[in-house]
Amino acid sequence: MISAYYLQIIILVGINIIMASSLNLITGFTGQLSIGHAAFMSVGAYASALVTLKLGLPFFVSLLCGGLVAAFFGILIGIPTLKLKGDYLAIATLGFGEIVRIVFLNLEITGGAVGLRGIPKDTTLLWVIISVLVTLFVLYRIIRSRVGRALIAIREDETAAESMGINTTYYKILAFGVGAFFAGLGGGLFSHYFRYIQPNSFGFLKSIEYLCMVVLGGLGNMWGSIIGAAALTAIPEFLRASADYRQLFYGAILVIMMRLRPQGIMGEEILSKSNLTESPFLSKLKLRLKKQKNQDI
Amino acid sequence: MTKKILSLLSVLLLLAILVSSGCGGNDQASGPDPGPAQEGEETPESTVVKVGMVGPLSGGAATYGQSVRNGVEIAVNEVNENNEIEGVVLELLAEDSEGDWSKAANAFSKLAEQDKVNVIVGGVLSSESEAGGPIIMSAQIPTISPSSTATGLTVGNPYLFRNCLSDEVQASQLAEYAVTELGLSKFAILYTNNDYGVALKNAFEETAGSLAEVLAVEAFMDNDENFKPQLTNIQQQNPEAIFIAGYYTEAAKIAQQAKEQGLEVQLLGADGFYSPVLVEIGADAVEGAIFTAGFHSGDESPAVQNFVTKYRELFNEEPDMFAAQAYDAARIVIEAIKTKGTTPEQIREGIAETENFPGITGNTSIDEEGDTIKDVLILKVEGGAFDRIR
Repeated sequence: MISAYYLQIIILVGINIIMASSLNLITGFTGQLSIGHAAFMSVGAYASALVTLKLGLPFFVSLLCGGLVAAFFGILIGIPTLKLKGDYLAIATLGFGEIVRIVFLNLEITGGAVGLRGIPKDTTLLWVIISVLVTLFVLYRIIRSRVGRALIAIREDETAAESMGINTTYYKILAFGVGAFFAGLGGGLFSHYFRYIQPNSFGFLKSIEYLCMVVLGGLGNMWGSIIGAAALTAIPEFLRASADYRQLFYGAILVIMMRLRPQGIMGEEILSKSNLTESPFLSKLKLRLKKQKNQDI
Repeated sequence: MTKKILSLLSVLLLLAILVSSGCGGNDQASGPDPGPAQEGEETPESTVVKVGMVGPLSGGAATYGQSVRNGVEIAVNEVNENNEIEGVVLELLAEDSEGDWSKAANAFSKLAEQDKVNVIVGGVLSSESEAGGPIIMSAQIPTISPSSTATGLTVGNPYLFRNCLSDEVQASQLAEYAVTELGLSKFAILYTNNDYGVALKNAFEETAGSLAEVLAVEAFMDNDENFKPQLTNIQQQNPEAIFIAGYYTEAAKIAQQAKEQGLEVQLLGADGFYSPVLVEIGADAVEGAIFTAGFHSGDESPAVQNFVTKYRELFNEEPDMFAAQAYDAARIVIEAIKTKGTTPEQIREGIAETENFPGITGNTSIDEEGDTIKDVLILKVEGGAFDRIR
């Protein structure tokens, strides 16, 4: 048998794969920069933990509840903010994340700042593996379908997509809803694994961590999110050997990665084997900057 | 071409830094021990007892974690240098939690399952111990937290102990003291909205409410700068004392703003006040403040002064409450090893039976729930220094 420590890391990798690939649907495929993903996770974690603790429903039901409640909030945040673009959307999602954290910090039923303890340990390796496979399967089917192409079209050019008859609002909300659902599922697994949750660990930094996984792995690539999640979960643990210099190492690895492969480990160009040296994102950004410069002059 | 070379060079340079710092890390890890060579000579006859430590060594709460590690390190050094336990060499393994409890859970798991430590001193923050509790219980590794004050933390977990006053005990004893000794009868409470502040507030409100009157309860957040709205509300109620359930930075700012507003009341606080920073920021506004504490470095007993001197020598700074409680926690573990033995189960028994242990933070006993029983010190700010008044 593998030791409980490695088992724990494997389970965390699994949960983070769910988190990163669901964020990848929103940010990587649909092009909507979200830095509130940990908030959806915390909603799912709290919802499923409360369902288990207060209602005593079976684990599967509580996981589903976690996902659904998170999806509800995903849609709720999606509707008012989807008129926003780029940085503004990012700021709105950031604000949403903080609101969720502070609400949980002050609610009576969530244990406030003390958190919830005594959640039964229902999450096993099997549950995590099944959840990861289901998540990846569903996301893969979405991306490979008409819906997925619509999402990618929105990322590439929203106006053009709209003129082609794609209901951009609908698809963007769909992406947020599905992404939040799986984040909630990940949260449910998380709370039933650690048996304890507290609002502060779902803050802004956690959201950034998930974004890092997606960007490091490669935006808009499913394998990328898997590799990114596995790498960023396992590396800090393996670096424990270096004691005090752990954070330094970790930062350095991120910097080196971004220096050598700005498009992420599995950035688009590998798969499409095109001659483009940059991701469509970056080239678009450069074009925009050029335009702006010309205007300035 | 040059670009390629440059990038290659930068990578190599970084690698070089990594390798060298990695060695540095190892040096530090083995620093507290009598040195690898010496250890090698001793191994035939002596058993190595691994003492794990979990806490925030990086991130926002790093000062607490580092203090705890330093405190444990001093205790471990003492044992190894003086050969205090026949045939036993202690080895300290400190793991970083970054102040994030899910990472603390990884650290606990690594120490228990991978390194097979005999005992753990940690976690530092309450949430870390909450997350680690189930892990060390299933691994059956005795764990003593030097500073996790959350209510009911150790209940139902025979492997989890703590060596610090719970928030309730501090707050209720302070409330009693304020009513009976200081003769105060009208209180206001200002608490920081986290587990620490809430627990203190609840206990203080209960005790003070039953003995006297609590007129106002206001909340604030960590890192807040402006407390005027809360202070204005409190001022309207005209209390005699404000109990600030929070940490020193905010407490000092609150004291200053209260003074600016002309709110002249007795300031009360808990162990979150215990830091020189309180006086540095608060200056004369915190003069006369009375607070509970688990440790007083000005204490003249030889044990305390011995610890303070060693701490200054080794780390070049003043030991705080975290360091002192961690030192005592490690000492309790050492006592347990001396009386019972070195296996985790024997250490657990030893810790559980701790009775009247003469620590630098006062006489300490462990009750059947794994909680600490010890005297609460009450300190007062006088002339910019802390004076023990009880």
